Amino acid sequence: MKIQAQIAMVLNLDKCIGCHTCSVTCKNVWTTRKGMEYAWFNNVETKPGQGYPTDWENQDKWKGGWVLDKSKLRPRMGNKAGIMKNIFSNPYLPQIDDYYEPFTFNYSILHSSAKFVTPPSARPHSMITGLPMEKIEKGPNWEDDLGGAFEERSKEKNFDDIDKEIYSKFENAFMMYLPRLCEHCLNPTCVAACPSGAIYKREDDGIVLIDQDRCRGWRQCVSACPYKKIYFNWKTKRSEKCTLCYPKIENGEPTICSETCVGRIRYIGVMLYDAEKIKESASSENPVDLYQSHLDIFLDPNNPEIIAEARKQGIPDNFIDAAQKSPVYKMAVEWKVAFPLHPEYRTLSMVWYTPPLSPIQEEVESGKLGFNGIIPDVDMLRIPVKYLANMFTAGDEKPVREALVKMLAMRAFMRGKTVENSEDEAVLSGTGLTAEMVEEMYRYMAIADYEDRFVIPVSHKEYAFDAFGDKAGCGFSDGEGCGSMESRLKNLFGGM
Amino acid sequence: MNNYINNLLFTYLPHIAMTLFWFGVITRIVKTSKSLQAESSQFLSKKGQRWGGNLFHYGIILVFIGHFMGLFTPEHFYHLFMTTATKKILAVIMGSVFGTAAVVGITILLVRRLKDQRIRINSSIADILLIALLLFEMGLGLISVAISAGSSVENYAALGEWAQKVITFQPDAGVVIAGHSLIYKLHIVTGLFIFMIFPYTKLMHMFVMPLAYFFRSGYQLVRRGFTKRPA
Repeated sequence: MKIQAQIAMVLNLDKCIGCHTCSVTCKNVWTTRKGMEYAWFNNVETKPGQGYPTDWENQDKWKGGWVLDKSKLRPRMGNKAGIMKNIFSNPYLPQIDDYYEPFTFNYSILHSSAKFVTPPSARPHSMITGLPMEKIEKGPNWEDDLGGAFEERSKEKNFDDIDKEIYSKFENAFMMYLPRLCEHCLNPTCVAACPSGAIYKREDDGIVLIDQDRCRGWRQCVSACPYKKIYFNWKTKRSEKCTLCYPKIENGEPTICSETCVGRIRYIGVMLYDAEKIKESASSENPVDLYQSHLDIFLDPNNPEIIAEARKQGIPDNFIDAAQKSPVYKMAVEWKVAFPLHPEYRTLSMVWYTPPLSPIQEEVESGKLGFNGIIPDVDMLRIPVKYLANMFTAGDEKPVREALVKMLAMRAFMRGKTVENSEDEAVLSGTGLTAEMVEEMYRYMAIADYEDRFVIPVSHKEYAFDAFGDKAGCGFSDGEGCGSMESRLKNLFGGM
Repeated sequence: MNNYINNLLFTYLPHIAMTLFWFGVITRIVKTSKSLQAESSQFLSKKGQRWGGNLFHYGIILVFIGHFMGLFTPEHFYHLFMTTATKKILAVIMGSVFGTAAVVGITILLVRRLKDQRIRINSSIADILLIALLLFEMGLGLISVAISAGSSVENYAALGEWAQKVITFQPDAGVVIAGHSLIYKLHIVTGLFIFMIFPYTKLMHMFVMPLAYFFRSGYQLVRRGFTKRPA
């Protein structure tokens, strides 16, 4: 057994209101530089929708993630020789137009003293060429709140084995928000596909980073990542990605997207796992088994044997403490209300999602009872369970159904307790929950105090290397050396 | 051609060029290795990049291997397998096939760089001049192949003899090809010029070709963290 610790995240989609605060704060911190205007390390998509970049979930097209080739795991793009033969031209590389052409407006015209015949207006200009654009055809969240035609939006992969036509009718329409960032996978395809060896996973906290000094711009990682969360900087011609705000994480602070989440949907905690099981887990023959095999990698941080072994293997005590209080462990393993995104990619992602509840269908209200005792039948929820299962469990409805039942039961129980002042444990029967567990779930998922959401141990860099040589260094720069003049003088609003 | 100039260009210039080349390459790798990279513009425009990029790169790599083997294999060594006449036919066929592939590829890339608005605006003058220079050199190379095809075996063999005399520091190296066509000579001088500017252009990306990828054990890379090791 090789015990390692990973900083993992859970996003409670039941509470996401799609406000994009996470995306905007992330953008302001990390990607307001030339070459990265189009990149959103964190973005929020409205589902159903083709997303950003368009149709990112379609791996027949982009070849992201892993496949089993004669029961051996290899990147879907090809083995090493297959990847190398494409370094002169990567046939699976998304284009800037698959994201959107970044634009700004010539605001300066609005406060010039020139006389206009008609009222002046600021026209869009491309941030790639600087030339005026006739029309903005696409943006980072083009399908916001079901924008666009159903025909286009429904081309996405999660509808593949669903008879989707009924959802085009207004009374059956459903939607949910899906905030996405780098998954900091246990079995990252981007790392595997990088010929230069510039991308690596950190042993201490599992954060996946690109070494900008070693990236040579062969751009295989962009197509290898099935979540399309590696962005090619067209100015520096190197790849960049979400860093999980590691300078903050190392100091025990949450990432900027989590810190600023107004819905308090994000949780960050430590997971202990057995690194020796990764390969076996990712190689499960049947894709529907991947969710369970991923769960099997995690180790119980309260088990005295695991604690002793972790100490022996050099996991710092504050990481073990954090793992015991980890909100991620509780939601993913103890309550099983959180799921990985697209386990069928075999990347063993470490950003997990709690599926959203949704309004009860009209039939229930009109008298055709869909109630199962006190809890409404999950099949009556507006978002089809199959759709969620395609997203979170490779199509297996059972775990998603159980999670939704637990969340509905929690609501019913707590409603009884706080409104009617009666603790009706009958609503919990068959859900696998006890009153005690529900109270704790309620504390974490509904109240969601800052201290409960973020249990992040301070890093022990002093064990890793002597930092004395780094003193008086540049620190974190904008990628143009120690703060170039151009970037310091940039317009406050990033415009021209 | 004037004897003095002929000697200067074909006996001494190769040494000057290679000295500058290796000086530049070594200093660049030692001092600024972090700035070495492929400068792909594929992300901004895919059109023409697949055919252009692949034809050019695979073509030029094979042409380079061809030059290396053809010029520097000693006569008594290749005579074990083939006659000089056979070697010439082989060189002409391989040179014309791969040379044409590379020329077609780089022409596509040049057209793409000039015609595509996004690429054009984000290209430096150096980007465009370098492609033009390579195209010029490769065009001369293709004409040289045609000339070789139509001339004597001795004429062809002299090229190898010249190259081997150069690298073994023979003072009469230039004399060997004194009577050759001006096209060959222009091809050689342009080639040496490319070697001289090589370290200061994006051609340096060849030195970071990621061959180490094949020797990485497995696929994944994990960098050691702070795990406390027993003292």
